[in-house]
Amino acid sequence: MADKMFDIVIIGGGPAGLTAAIYAARFKMSAVVLAKMPGGLLTSAHLIENWPGFESITGIDLMKRIQDHVEKLGVKVLIEDVIDINKSKEGFKVRTEGKTYDARTILFATGTERRRLGVRGESDFLGKGVSYCAVCDGPFFKEKTVAVVGGSDAAAKEALLLTRWAKKVYIIYRKQEIRPEPATADAVKANKKIEIVANANVTEIMGKRFVEAVQLDNGKKLSVDGVFIEIGGNPISAMAKKLGVSLNDRGEIVTDKDGRTNVPGIYAAGDVTNRTYKQALMAAAEGASAIFSAYRFMKEGKE
Amino acid sequence: MPKVRIYTTTSCPYCTMAKDFLKKNKVLFEEINIEKDHKLAREIVEKTGQTGVPVIEIDGKIILGFDKAALKKALKIK
Repeated sequence: MADKMFDIVIIGGGPAGLTAAIYAARFKMSAVVLAKMPGGLLTSAHLIENWPGFESITGIDLMKRIQDHVEKLGVKVLIEDVIDINKSKEGFKVRTEGKTYDARTILFATGTERRRLGVRGESDFLGKGVSYCAVCDGPFFKEKTVAVVGGSDAAAKEALLLTRWAKKVYIIYRKQEIRPEPATADAVKANKKIEIVANANVTEIMGKRFVEAVQLDNGKKLSVDGVFIEIGGNPISAMAKKLGVSLNDRGEIVTDKDGRTNVPGIYAAGDVTNRTYKQALMAAAEGASAIFSAYRFMKEGKE
Repeated sequence: MPKVRIYTTTSCPYCTMAKDFLKKNKVLFEEINIEKDHKLAREIVEKTGQTGVPVIEIDGKIILGFDKAALKKALKIK
């Protein structure tokens, strides 16, 4: 496997990585996508209603379509977790469990991993009431009471989805006002099952065999059967850092507007970068930009 | 062939990935979608102690989540 030299190895199978693969194929660059999770985190989004051409589509359907598109163009999407990357004479050596891929250039489209609350009970009750995926585990909470922790658009959408099963959904947020997109905010307001608990932090998740309650820092305790944690993500950038790529103070990979990092031959796109708005559509566009840059670098030998 | 059962919900991406993985490795399995039968869902929560999916049962041994390494080991896949 170590014989073939890829023009680009794309690390990450979300919107950024898969769009990059489409562009790479059309630029006739040899490419492979190494993804821990083909489709990326977007697969756990219930409905996406801002992707042009689709008024409403589930995250998993959208990502399957994109992955099909990639594979029809002949780029393989492999479920492989990259564990190490080193510089080599001609570029880079990307190592997964048991395999090594040689690459002229690499693209970090690694995205983020879900942030944890870091409170007592969170890991003990994981899968016993604590979840990071409402589309996955929501159906377990039919006629139950659940809490969503977080105030983002994603958190509000998660709460809305959970009302499909739960009889009551709390949104627990540390600030005064949750901050979803206005269209989502209207839907939350109109939904009688949702109650917003503002200015509150969860300090402990409690129960016996399963979750029974959450303790808040305002002294109150809420009885709940489930806790869905949706407080954003941390960029997966440790391997980039090891290669000398600059990160900002949030740990995001710093790129120019065309996806170049400070290291020649290394590109980044999507939620792992220092872009302000974390949107699937922008991640896809960044994936495309990065391929333009990588292609030029290969052709002209300069950044 | 080991007896493999996978508990899923309809739109859980990790369930889809786990099923794809089993299919790719030509493992026969039975799927139980807990969303379709609420009473069964309760039973499964009791049995597995889990309110999450996927849960994969291989000859009675339970694997939580899509844990590729654990699946490979349990199914002796290289």
